[in-house]
This record gives sequence, structure tokens and C-alpha cells, in this order.
Amino acid sequence: MSLWHIAWSYLWNRKLTTVLTIVSVALAVALISSVLTLREETRKRFEEEGQAFDLVVGAKGSPLQLVLSSVYFMDTPTGNIPYTEFEHLKNDAEYVKAAFPINMGDSYQGFRIIGTIPELFGHKWVSPVSGEERAPFQLAQGRYFETSFQAVLGALVARQTGLKPGDTFVSTHGFIAGLPEGLGGHSHANMPYTVVGIMKPSSSPYDRAIFCSLESVWQAHQHGPGEHHEEHGQEHAEENEGEHAHHHEGAAEEEEAAYQEWSARPESMVTAVLLQLQSPALRFQYREIIREQTSVMAAIPINEIATFYDQFLGTAKLILLAVGYLVVVISALSILIGLYLSILQRKRDMAIMRALGASSYEIFGSVLIEAFWVTVLGIAAGWLAGGLVSFGLGQYLAWRFGLAITAFGITNEHIAAFSAVALVGLLAGILPAWQAYHSDVAHDLADR
Amino acid sequence: MIVAIENGRRQLGPGVVFYCERLEVPEGAHIALWGPSGCGKSTLLNILSGLLRADSGAVIVDGMDLQTLNEGQLDRFRGEHLGFVFQTFNLLAPFTALQNVMLGMRFSDTIPAKEWKPRATALLERVGLKHRLHSKPNTMSVGEQQRVAIARALANRQKLIVADEPTGSLDPKTSKTVMDLLLEMCQEQKVTLLLVTHDRAIADRLPMQFDCSGLVKEETA
Repeated sequence: MSLWHIAWSYLWNRKLTTVLTIVSVALAVALISSVLTLREETRKRFEEEGQAFDLVVGAKGSPLQLVLSSVYFMDTPTGNIPYTEFEHLKNDAEYVKAAFPINMGDSYQGFRIIGTIPELFGHKWVSPVSGEERAPFQLAQGRYFETSFQAVLGALVARQTGLKPGDTFVSTHGFIAGLPEGLGGHSHANMPYTVVGIMKPSSSPYDRAIFCSLESVWQAHQHGPGEHHEEHGQEHAEENEGEHAHHHEGAAEEEEAAYQEWSARPESMVTAVLLQLQSPALRFQYREIIREQTSVMAAIPINEIATFYDQFLGTAKLILLAVGYLVVVISALSILIGLYLSILQRKRDMAIMRALGASSYEIFGSVLIEAFWVTVLGIAAGWLAGGLVSFGLGQYLAWRFGLAITAFGITNEHIAAFSAVALVGLLAGILPAWQAYHSDVAHDLADR
Repeated sequence: MIVAIENGRRQLGPGVVFYCERLEVPEGAHIALWGPSGCGKSTLLNILSGLLRADSGAVIVDGMDLQTLNEGQLDRFRGEHLGFVFQTFNLLAPFTALQNVMLGMRFSDTIPAKEWKPRATALLERVGLKHRLHSKPNTMSVGEQQRVAIARALANRQKLIVADEPTGSLDPKTSKTVMDLLLEMCQEQKVTLLLVTHDRAIADRLPMQFDCSGLVKEETA
């Protein structure tokens, strides 16, 4: 029958008060824990994806907007740049190792349709966070696109829409999320896409993207919706009736010819170009070269994200942590008040224990242990609740931005925060413990 | 003598003083400290059990001069040498009867830890509570609670039991049963009993009486 058991018995004897006190500590810890987890995990995931490309080149505007729209598919693009800029960048072998154009403009059920070149699917990089190779464009089913209006779906898109290889869908102009087919922007009803492949989940923004060829996007937007869609749509309608079969035979040659034709048009544009440089060390230098020698803008994704985190999310984190620690102080007060009232009610019990031979130190210790139990259980429950909150928000982040996070992690920041909470909890127990330590045994025993 | 107090004096308030010129109790004796309410019998008991300190005089219990012990030593002394039986039983509510008796052993080094449970069980069986080992105090009758308190008071093989109005909260029938048990157990364990009571009839059941009247008095300048 240790002091731990005695302290626990007294806490158990007043279950409701104990549970409420633990809950108040847990709420504070959950808030702090979830803020730390979400901040750290999203930062890691953003940085991991931010390292996918050394530079992103697009129309002039906000560099952060360019990065968010082109790398994370989160914001509206800054505009379009001529396709010739892509060719110019691609051919700059002194600096550029690989260049991938992307074209945006349409969506399906809120998921962006990204026009690009098949070479993007072979792009890999080493994550600076995990040190592992990231290859997010691996197929789970089917194949990559080969001709216009063939689509490769991200894993989340396939899961949410239920589309599978062989299915067709019609895109909507614009990026209006969450609207059913046919609502929102005008639909390219006569130019349906055919699903040819589905990618494996990659916990990245690519999970929520639909990939197709550049010319698919060009064709869809080359003319006004009223005029072109109809005539082009007729072609597609006929194509559908013909079961696509004839289109796929010798498709590569036809497509190459179409690609050459479309890309040669002076009006052909792309939304952005994603660059892998010969070395990450060239990022700043090449950004300056682009700034000085071209009319387009280059941004370093990892830098923009780091700035975004420091300036915006850093402040938000500080505010949320301040609220969390304020709740810790309130919780500490509730521990103090709860224990103090309990000590007042138990003065006679303390006196009995002293009469039975317990020392003042043992009484002091048992009260402090009660504070310890409440605090530790509050921290454990809070960490669990924080994990559940992070898990819930993580599900939203995965759905909204394609960023999967680890909900139940423990970082050094968590350990520091939990230690601070434990210290505050123990400090809250000292006053009641001191009160118990200094009790007047004879008086408290006589107090009937 | 197991208990001796000589010229024990304690200031209780402005102009109010407790003074006991002499009391000596031989080992194994059963003595009633009796007198009307407020006469000073509980103060005498508290001084003899180390719960209160005398301002002056000598207080010797089981060979120890309580006046020379510090707080920690007094705590240990109480745990090892004294057993308490209170009017309101003073069992600890969160614990079962068995645990309450074991707590009596927890705070002293007299009984090895491995013997706590068997000894507490045996004592409770001896006071007729074999069926109540795992009952909490609030589920027990007042008579049962006082029997648990008696078992707890004897848990450390104490030589001295101090009982402060042990039947004060009991009905006459239960009171007689509890008194019979207390005297029987003290006899059986060869324990000295100091029993405080205001009831002369109860005091008369013990072979020795000490009249506490006048221990507390107004101090004259």
C-alpha cells in the first residue's frame, strides 16, 4: 500500500471532480498537441513536396501564388506563359536537367485537370525529410495517357469519384470544388475524357489531380465554348460511338503530329513550367537569370513555403499555442482549487493518517502525487485527443490538399510542452500539499 | 510505568491553562480518564499521545520522553507505540476495512509488509468481521466501523491503546458490545488501555479511574 496507491484511492473516491479536472488538463494539452502536430506535420509535408522541383516558372505575379497553384494545386494560377518559354527552358542544358510544363484550367468534381507531358511521370527526387526517394507517379491500374483526352487519375480522385479505367467523364471550366457535374463553370460536354490509368496513393497533391496531355487542355480551350465545343464535340461523340478503337490504332504517330501542330501555334500557352536543375545549388542563380533575361517569373518552392510558414502560419501557431498555454494555466488553477477543496474536506483524514504514524512529508507527498496523477492522466488523454483532432484535420487536409500527415507523432516540441504542463500541474499541487503538511493534527481530529 | 506525566502544563488560551500534577499508569493497566465535558481529559490524552505538546513538565510514554522528540520522531512514535480508537471511528472512506487496518501498519516499520494482509485479515476475523473485509466504511454499521477501528488500533502490536469516547456515537446495546470487545482484546493482547469518557458507568467498568476534573482552570495572576 504505497503513497501512489493512497493518492489514487483518494482521486478515485471523488471520481467526478477528478475526471473533470483531468478533462480540463486534457483539453489544454489536446489544443497544444494538435497545434504542434499539425504545424510540424504540414510543414514537413509541404517541404517534402516543395523539394520536388527546384524552380517553378510562370506568369508574373505573386511567387507564393505561383508555387501554391503549380506545385500544391491550391490557389489560382498567376496566368499563362507562352509554350515557347518551356522549350527555351528545356533546352538550357547548362542549368536545366528536366522541365515539365503544366496547363490548368478545367476540373472534374473539384479536382484539377493538369495538362502535362508523359515525362513528368518518371520524375523522382529524394525527400530531405525522410531521406527516401519520392516517386509519386506510380500506377496502380492501367497505363499513362498516350493521346488527347485520356486521363490518369490521382488515387484520391479515383476513390472519391468512383471512376475506373475505361470510364469517361466531362470536365468543367474552372476550379470550383465540390460541385456536382454540370454545375459551376460551363462544361466541355462534348469532349469527354477517358480514364486510362489510376495512380497509387502518394500522400501528395498529385493524389487529387487528374493528368492528361497538354494538347487536351489546348484543344478544350482553343475556341469559345459555343463554337468550338460543338464542332470538336461532334468529333468526340463520333469517336465514342466508334469505341475509340480507331483512335488508338497508330495513336502515337497521330498524337505526335497533333502535339507538334498545337505546340507550334503561337497562341499556345502553358500555366507554368516545373524545373529540375542540374544542382539545387543553382536555384538562386537561375532564378536571377530568368528574372533578368525573360518576361516570366521564377520562384523557388521551398523558399516560398518556408516564408509562408514563418510569416503566416508561424504567427497563427504562436497565437494558438498562447491560447493553449492559457488553458494550461486555467487547468492548473482547477487542479489547485480541486485539490485545495479536497484537502479542506480531508483535513480529518490527514490527521488520522498522522495519528497512525504518517509523517508530514508523507502527507505532503501523497497530495503532490494526486496532482501528478491528474496532470499525467490529463497529458495522456490530451495527447490522445490531440491525435484524434489531428487525425480528423489530417483527413480534411488529405481530401482538400492531398497532404497526408502522421496524427500521433511526438516531437521534441511535444515533450517540452508536456513537461511544461507537468511542471505547472505539480506547482498547482504544492499549495494544497503545503496546507496538508502544516495541518494541526489534534485540532483536526477534534473537529467533529 | 508505561505512562507518566508530571507537572504537565499547557496554555490553552488567554488565562486558560491545562495542568496535570501527576499521573502514572502501570504497564497492562486499563484506566478510565473521566470527567465532565471541557474538564481537560481529551487534552490529557492528546499530550500523552504526542498530538499536543506540553509547554512544560515531563511526559514519559513507553520509556520515551515525548518532550524531547521532534515532529518526525513523534509521528514515528505514534505509529509504533500507540493505537487510537476515536468516538467517530475515523476510518478512511476510500479504503476497505482490510485496507484501513493495513494502513495502521503502513506508516510504521513494526510489521513487515508481507504480513500486513494476513495480520489485518486475522484481526478483522477476530473482531467478527470476516464477512466485511472488502467493505467500505460507508456500507458498514457504526458498530462494525468501531470494530474495524479496534482492529486497526492493535495492528502494530502496540503496547498502549488510547480510546477517546469510543462508545460516544453508539446506541446502548452496541456500546456494550464494543466495550466488551475492546476490553477483551486489550486483555488478550496484554495492552495498556487509556480510555477517555464522560460516562461514569463506563469508567466504572475499568479497574482504574483517574478523575480529570479541574485539569483545565482559569489562571490566577
